[in-house]
Formats: sequence, C-alpha cells, structure tokens
Amino acid sequence: MIEKLTVSATINSLKIITEYIVKVANLGGLDKKATYKLRLATDELATNIINYAYTENNGVGDILFESEISDEVIMIKIKDLGIPFDPTTKLETELKTINIPIEERKIGGLGIFLVFDGVDQFFYERIDNENISTLIIYRK
Amino acid sequence: MALDISLVIDNDVAKITLVGELDGSNASDFKAKIEQAAAAEPKKVILFLEELEFMASAGLRVLVFSKQKIGAGVDIYIIGAQEMILESIEKTGLNHSFIIQEEYQD
Repeated sequence: MIEKLTVSATINSLKIITEYIVKVANLGGLDKKATYKLRLATDELATNIINYAYTENNGVGDILFESEISDEVIMIKIKDLGIPFDPTTKLETELKTINIPIEERKIGGLGIFLVFDGVDQFFYERIDNENISTLIIYRK
Repeated sequence: MALDISLVIDNDVAKITLVGELDGSNASDFKAKIEQAAAAEPKKVILFLEELEFMASAGLRVLVFSKQKIGAGVDIYIIGAQEMILESIEKTGLNHSFIIQEEYQD
C-alpha cells in the first residue's frame, strides 16, 4: 500500500508531517521507539527543506511524501524541487562534531546525524531537478 | 508544535520547564528563555524536561547555545528527560557537559 502527502515547505507543515509519519509508522506496526526515531528523521529532513531548499524561490515550494509498506520494510520517499542538497555529504562533518566538547562547538548541524541514526537505510538521488531522500525501516 | 516554556529565577537559580514538543518551529522561544535566564547571571540553571515529549536537533542546538551563553562555570542540570530525548542528548555527546538527573538533587 502507498500513502502520499504533499505540503507546502513552511514550518507550520511540521505538524501535518508528524501526523502523517505517525500514521505510516502505526500502519507498519512500528513500536514507540522506532516511531519516535522515524519521526525525528523525517522532521529533520523536512526542516532542512523548509529552511533551505526554496531560498531561490522566496521560500515557496512543496514537500512530497510517498510511503510504501511491504512485508519486510517501510519505505518513505521525501521529495522537493529545490536546490540540490545531498544529506549524505553532511554526515561526516556531524560525526566529527559530536566528538568535540560542546563548549568548543560551532552551533549548527546534528540533524543529519539524527536522520541516519533513526533509519536502517538512507539513499539520496537527484532526478529531473528533484531531491529524493529514501528512508527504509525494517519491520521487525 | 505546541510548546510551553516557563522560567522562574529564585535565589540565583534559573528554573526552566519545557512542556510539549520542541523542534524547528519553536526552538527560538526556548533560545529566548535561555537568553533571559543568562541575563540574570544565575549560579545554576535547571531544565525540567519531564513533560517534554519530542526534541529535534533545533532543541539540541539550543542546549549547546545555553552552555556557551551561560558559561562553563555555571552548572546546567537536565532533569527527567524522557528515554528517547535522553538518547539524542547522549548520542550527540551533549551528556558530558550537563548534569543529568531523573529527579533534581542539589
């Protein structure tokens, strides 16, 4: 089965996105902890899109979600038509950041680390001007 | 997301209570309360998180900000953080810079 959602890339959409993700997680039978981590991962990716993807278009644009539940996995695709952004390129920097004492850190980041921590697999593609992040969670 | 924040300053101790969900839509409210607390130059800051249900990286960044703004010499306590929030705090290495307790003990 496939569940879809399209919302405008604004901070007020986070609530609708959360409701959608919790619904998908429940349909997929995820426990409370896995649901929280999935919600956190999608919240971080959506917030990045809201804050940065459409800066060249006065912040106007959409975020699309497509979720597919199979016997083995929940697969969620998050798409936007904003500037190219590959989250995987930020992971190494954030992994270094978490080992720096916070008194010496620059304030920023941590979100992409939480994305990778929250899912079993993550892929990024850029196809036809679209950023596509794919999150996969194993149904245990 | 719905978030209620209260700040009480009592005998050089700043107590901030967060209730609800903390993310990119309201982290600036938390940051503003930290700045308000810092302005009072407290000797100790206590963050009560028992009723905080969700915290995104925007909240973690305000925690980093709080330590930098208030100063390394002032202890900041995190009280009663729920399991998944505590996990985010620990995995991002923030636990080393805060005093983390289930219930506040001086």
